[in-house]
Amino acid sequence: MDEQLNQTASFVYDDAMEAQLFQQERERQIQEDFAKPFDPEAILEVRHLRKTFPLKKTITGKVTRELVAVDDVSFKLYPGETLGIVGESGCGKTTTGRAILKLHQPTGGQIIFDGVDITNLKSSQMREFRKQMQIIFQDPYSSLPPRSTVGGILSEPVEVHKIVPKDQVKDYVLQLMEKCGLRDYYYERYPHEFSGGQRQRICIARALSVNPKLVICDEPVSALDVSIQAQIINLLKELQREMNLAYVFISHDLSVVKFISDKIAVMYLGAVVEYGTKEDIFNNPLHPYTKALFSAVPNPDPTVKMERIKLQGDIPSPANPPKGCRFHTRCPYATEKCKHVPPQYHEYGDGHFAACHLLNEE
Amino acid sequence: MSQETKKTNKNYLSGKEVRAIAKANAAEMKRLEAYKNRKCEEKEFLTKMRDPNNLLEIDDLHTFFFTEQGVVKAVNGVSYNVPKNAVVGVVGESGCGKSVTSMSVMRLIQGPTGQIVSGHIRFAAKDTAKDKKGKVIRDENGEPIIEEKVYDIAKMPMREIHRIRGKQVAMIFQEPMTSLNPVFTIGQQLDEVTFIHVEGATKEMAKEKTFDMLRLVGIIPENVYDAFPHELSGGMRQRVMIAMALAAEPRLIIADEPTTALDVTIQAQILDLLQDIKRKIDGSILLITHDLGVIAEMADYVVVMYAGKVIEKGTVYEIFKDPRHPYTIGLQKSKPTMTLDDSVELYNIPGNVPNPINMPDHCYFKERCAKCTAKCSGEYPGMIQVSPTHFVACHLYDEEK
Amino acid sequence: MEELKNQEPLENTPEAADEPLDKNIKLMSPTRMVVRRFFRSKLSIIGLIMVIGLFLFSFVGPIVYNEWGETELDTSGTVEYVTRDITVFENGVEYTIRQTVETAKRDNFLAGPSADHPLGTDQQGYDVLVRLMYGGRISLIFSFLAVILVTLLGVVLGGISGYFGGWVDTVIMRLCDVLMCLPGVPILLIISTILDSSGIDAQYRIYVLMICLSIISWPGTARLVRGQILSLREQEYMVAAEAMGYSTGRKIFKHLVPNVMPQLIVQMTLSLGSMILYEATLSYLNLGVKPPFAAWGTMINVISQRPDYISAYPLVWIPAGICIVIAVLGFNFVGDGLRDALDPKARR
Repeated sequence: MDEQLNQTASFVYDDAMEAQLFQQERERQIQEDFAKPFDPEAILEVRHLRKTFPLKKTITGKVTRELVAVDDVSFKLYPGETLGIVGESGCGKTTTGRAILKLHQPTGGQIIFDGVDITNLKSSQMREFRKQMQIIFQDPYSSLPPRSTVGGILSEPVEVHKIVPKDQVKDYVLQLMEKCGLRDYYYERYPHEFSGGQRQRICIARALSVNPKLVICDEPVSALDVSIQAQIINLLKELQREMNLAYVFISHDLSVVKFISDKIAVMYLGAVVEYGTKEDIFNNPLHPYTKALFSAVPNPDPTVKMERIKLQGDIPSPANPPKGCRFHTRCPYATEKCKHVPPQYHEYGDGHFAACHLLNEE
Repeated sequence: MSQETKKTNKNYLSGKEVRAIAKANAAEMKRLEAYKNRKCEEKEFLTKMRDPNNLLEIDDLHTFFFTEQGVVKAVNGVSYNVPKNAVVGVVGESGCGKSVTSMSVMRLIQGPTGQIVSGHIRFAAKDTAKDKKGKVIRDENGEPIIEEKVYDIAKMPMREIHRIRGKQVAMIFQEPMTSLNPVFTIGQQLDEVTFIHVEGATKEMAKEKTFDMLRLVGIIPENVYDAFPHELSGGMRQRVMIAMALAAEPRLIIADEPTTALDVTIQAQILDLLQDIKRKIDGSILLITHDLGVIAEMADYVVVMYAGKVIEKGTVYEIFKDPRHPYTIGLQKSKPTMTLDDSVELYNIPGNVPNPINMPDHCYFKERCAKCTAKCSGEYPGMIQVSPTHFVACHLYDEEK
Repeated sequence: MEELKNQEPLENTPEAADEPLDKNIKLMSPTRMVVRRFFRSKLSIIGLIMVIGLFLFSFVGPIVYNEWGETELDTSGTVEYVTRDITVFENGVEYTIRQTVETAKRDNFLAGPSADHPLGTDQQGYDVLVRLMYGGRISLIFSFLAVILVTLLGVVLGGISGYFGGWVDTVIMRLCDVLMCLPGVPILLIISTILDSSGIDAQYRIYVLMICLSIISWPGTARLVRGQILSLREQEYMVAAEAMGYSTGRKIFKHLVPNVMPQLIVQMTLSLGSMILYEATLSYLNLGVKPPFAAWGTMINVISQRPDYISAYPLVWIPAGICIVIAVLGFNFVGDGLRDALDPKARR
């Protein structure tokens, strides 16, 4: 019975074969891209970034099973620009952010910061770059040390990196606090005396205290109330204009990302499924996941009842991603091909990339 | 050293103040705790609904927390109604008292610090009729007669709370990770609900009921009945929580931020499920969330809370299409939406929510309000009716009265 | 409350008018919060009184009550003469010699309570009260030094192990496991025997023992510190410190250690009690402080040699026992109180 069925099908997919082909093609692509010269204008260039975490090890330390948190992420970022990374939990957006800062050592790929390949620098060599790239976290409660005052938290990096002479540190910090909307009498207070919004301002001030060129914003507004969210987003935009900062803005909230980003990368299970400018992504989403993500956002207008693209089921575990296209288990348009052949990443229109089989058939 | 102490004195409470607060708190807490644990007749907490169409009437509720730093008036004179077979959305920022109100309805406020100080929570429960001696009245077939009784939950002593908890009012929590017991299977936990609330339930009955409930929330029962909570994803766990809440066929379901911890695509699934359930069950849903989008999709009536007070309430169309209170307007404007023009600066309400201790005696929103007038420094504005269903607490609409 | 708001001077009016709500908020200072929570429990107050009382007794006591020294015998005992006749045959002649022998109760031993000796004297004629005071000194000094040493070792080794992980962690933790397998008292017995043969001064041998004791009891503290550091390391402010490019030393000593301090203080207080017990045990077994120097354990040791003293002369040994109980209970009560006060999660 089964054999008959197989014969009637036009051709049979060999999973192992497809995976091997895909891997070969990708390796070729990686080699090609690595050979390219660095873009002198870009502040950050990420090429085929990959990060895996070992799940199981043998006694000798050989990894037998691993979790691929980030699989093949590439983008370029220019000064004053914002890249939004959108995705659901477990899609690897946070790991991407941390791998760029080398808080996790990347497993593969290249990170080029300001024309220097920092991928394999030692932590002592990294110290020079630390002050040029900073991070803002999601949880404003756990990201501030509980036993220092606001003044202490903000002046410590200034002193360590010798941003200004010692006698001017306090003035510098007070200036910075003013810039971030913090009042001068907060200087002596402890973080636990503040609300979430104020704490997030302290976090921003700490990140900016070393005059960075790049700031990774890891869900900076997700834990905040709506009215405070708007304050923080405006503050971030204002500071960007003022200091010509480049942001990598990681969020699960599409509406927030839309408001602050120039370019957007949509991630699903460790891979970028669609990448393009904000206009491309929002006006002309190509990948079915992007479309579904857009339609899932509840609309705060009771008169509009929109038709949802319903995604069935849950996000698969990144430790055991589906074969073929990662999205096929939930995709409403999935075909037999999607279940076996991983889709290639292609350019559709200027700088608008997506990885989906459906797009090639059209 | 003396300079140090001077500085701390300025920002911090002095020992004398601390002792004064502690003394005042202790007396009040003792009194309320005794009231909570008293023994009393049923008639003491039986009452009548203002409007028979309502399932729940919260009337001038005050729930305070007596902390070491002072009294936190988490819920300070909140009144709203939940009509029968309706979805009421309560929206507000963190610390506005929306959750504390719902916890007060369930009487889950942690004593002795947290206490319901005054007010009424009238709830129309369906309970077995009892005669004067407390014996269950049965009809000729021996079935207990079910009658509607109105309880004042705020006055109920703790030993009587089992009458409403779970059976009449069920709750869905925000964190599906921690609200299921990790050492029991999903099946065991769901069966237990039936055992508790249905008299003389057998194992088979409970299992059948569990299967029904799981099917209702869109889960294939065979797959999860013997699974442990950690084996399920967040979305599945939230579905199980909903099934658990539905198992006792409650009249009111309180959903406290049911989708906040979930991803957008999963959130969409759960919202669809709640919509579906809303049609299927005979009861009301009290939906508490900070997400205006969720409220707009789900709710029939909306209550907007700020700093422990209701500042505006009305139907969902009134609140979203014709908001009156500057806070409601600002909240809607400051939420970035998919359709919003992103070249301009996002509207934002300046400042922060006032500290819950030492609340001012004027309008709590005054410091952040763009339309503030001289009148706003006066006493707290009362509720002004702008339409039969639309109320707002703001001095701007005083004349319209 | 109104008054409080008014007494706050509004320094810069535009700002104050802008956000007066924020500036006038008065919170409880962290220190006051801890102190309040500590004193809320009656048990910790009792514990504190016990501990302070003990300190005064041991360190101030001998200055006030200075009639007797630690090793000063009361020689005021009565002298009795016993006369007896001894008959000797010498060359067939019988001599009778009347001999008067001084069967001295020269030292005033085992005396009952009197104005001179409020708690009497012991079997050798030392003043019990004074010896209690000196015994307390030894116990307290011993336990404090031991705890400080244990904590130092524990913090350094636990900190290294928790922060660096990897093979360093494995080595230190396995060392911990091995040390935890060793039974404390038998090891000390062996060391003590070695000390005996090495002829070390009786006054200092207890300190050598203390060092040995510290070396075998640091694993508890090390594990505590390691566990704390492992969980703190995952906190986002530590990731932020990493992203700031701080040096390892700064991260450990400026960011991690201060956050371990509360648990460490609790642990230290609680182990003071057990160290006192150790010292008492050692002295009781005649391994620690040796006569003529006083220690609580040595004082109780009397009853192992003269069981009849248990009922006949309770004042010789019971006060020392009470002192040990008070010391251990006091430190444990204070430790428990501190744990409740310093750990916000333990709040009821």
